[in-house]
Amino acid sequence: MPPELTVKQQREARRAEKVAALKKQQAAQKRNRLITLIASGLASAGVLALVIAFVVTSSTPKVDPASIEIEGLNEFGTITANHVDGTPVDYETAYGMSPPAGGDHWGAWLNCGVYTEPQQNENAVHALEHGALWVTYNPDELSEDDVSALRGELPESYVILSPYPDLQAPVVMSGWANQLELTGVDDPRLADFVTKFWRSAEVPEPNASCTGAIDGPGKIS
Amino acid sequence: MSTPDTSAKTESAAALSVSSGQRTRRIIAATLVALFVLVGVFAAGRLTAPRVGTPATISAEAGFARDMQIHHNQAVEMSMMIRDLTDDPEVRLLAYDIATSQASQSGQLYGYLVEWNLPQAQAEPSMTWMARPTLEGDLHGHDGTEESAHNPGDPMPGLATPEQLANLSTLSGVEAEREFLTLMIAHHIGGVEMAEALLDRSDYRSVTTLARGVVAAQTGEIGMMETLLAARTP
Repeated sequence: MPPELTVKQQREARRAEKVAALKKQQAAQKRNRLITLIASGLASAGVLALVIAFVVTSSTPKVDPASIEIEGLNEFGTITANHVDGTPVDYETAYGMSPPAGGDHWGAWLNCGVYTEPQQNENAVHALEHGALWVTYNPDELSEDDVSALRGELPESYVILSPYPDLQAPVVMSGWANQLELTGVDDPRLADFVTKFWRSAEVPEPNASCTGAIDGPGKIS
Repeated sequence: MSTPDTSAKTESAAALSVSSGQRTRRIIAATLVALFVLVGVFAAGRLTAPRVGTPATISAEAGFARDMQIHHNQAVEMSMMIRDLTDDPEVRLLAYDIATSQASQSGQLYGYLVEWNLPQAQAEPSMTWMARPTLEGDLHGHDGTEESAHNPGDPMPGLATPEQLANLSTLSGVEAEREFLTLMIAHHIGGVEMAEALLDRSDYRSVTTLARGVVAAQTGEIGMMETLLAARTP
């Protein structure tokens, strides 16, 4: 039979128990701290790996035409696209457009290219239906150098470039149901308009031809 | 000095606070580990997958899809022209074949870019993709010659000039046929070269399938057109 413990011994035993419990608790805290440290280290390394992987595999950001926002863009929404051969179309009254940026048109599309004379609206609109851009300029505001600079900024196919007397801006770019007035040939929005709307899939007849129909007056290229 | 009763209470309160602190730490640790595993798996997948997503805007695939549309669309234009300039059934049927097949392929290439959410407009000068190294790291393409090297902004091989097209439109009959065949043979040789350049630089299946089709069809047509041209050369 174990001898009775003295009060002092009992107190010391309790104290030892408490110390042991405290040490155990401290050890657990230390372990947990270590686990947390390792876990966060690994997580950081993982995040870093993800960032590197992302940069390596997508070093070229995609340019989704749909995500390009253009300040001052005029959108005309859903418009009619009927063939009305021989009948002039009043685009200003019918669609609120000047110059025209889509709508009813004639059977022959205007062949894409560079023109030195104004063109028939109803033929040019048919080219817009095929995904072309119609780039019009005010001949009183643009010099010959400006026009050739403008030409240099545009794709070589699926573009009509022509003067448009009394135009409200130095340059107006039109795609089907979309139009933008430029402040000049160096307006940075020009490139955005080309990227977003040139041969757009949103036109009624994407990838239809912009050659083989009719040449307007003053075609130089 | 505290009574045994209150000291017991203090101890249990301390134990409670210790265990709740541990729980919080365990939750944090578990969350971090879970996050790490998620991120690790995602990164590993992204790094090892042969192709994640679709071609970028300056890839060989996108460059080919843009340039080849321009190339094909001119073949369509020339074919439609010759059908109006001659009534020779052999040449008109060949032109019908070229116009319909290349218009279809042009539409396919157009559709790839739409599907990849990329603009049809060039992201860089035409032919830039052909000036980049092949999959094997060779700068000059499959035959390794200087001839197959191209510089960004160069005209596409075999493309007819506006002057050549204007000249063709003034001809008729056998003269028009000869000029058409001469231009179209050069056009096809250039088209085959571009398709082979893509095959050297891509393993993206839908585009390489189309490029192989271009090589096969246009190589065959070159031989046929040479025969037709020889028969029309005095």
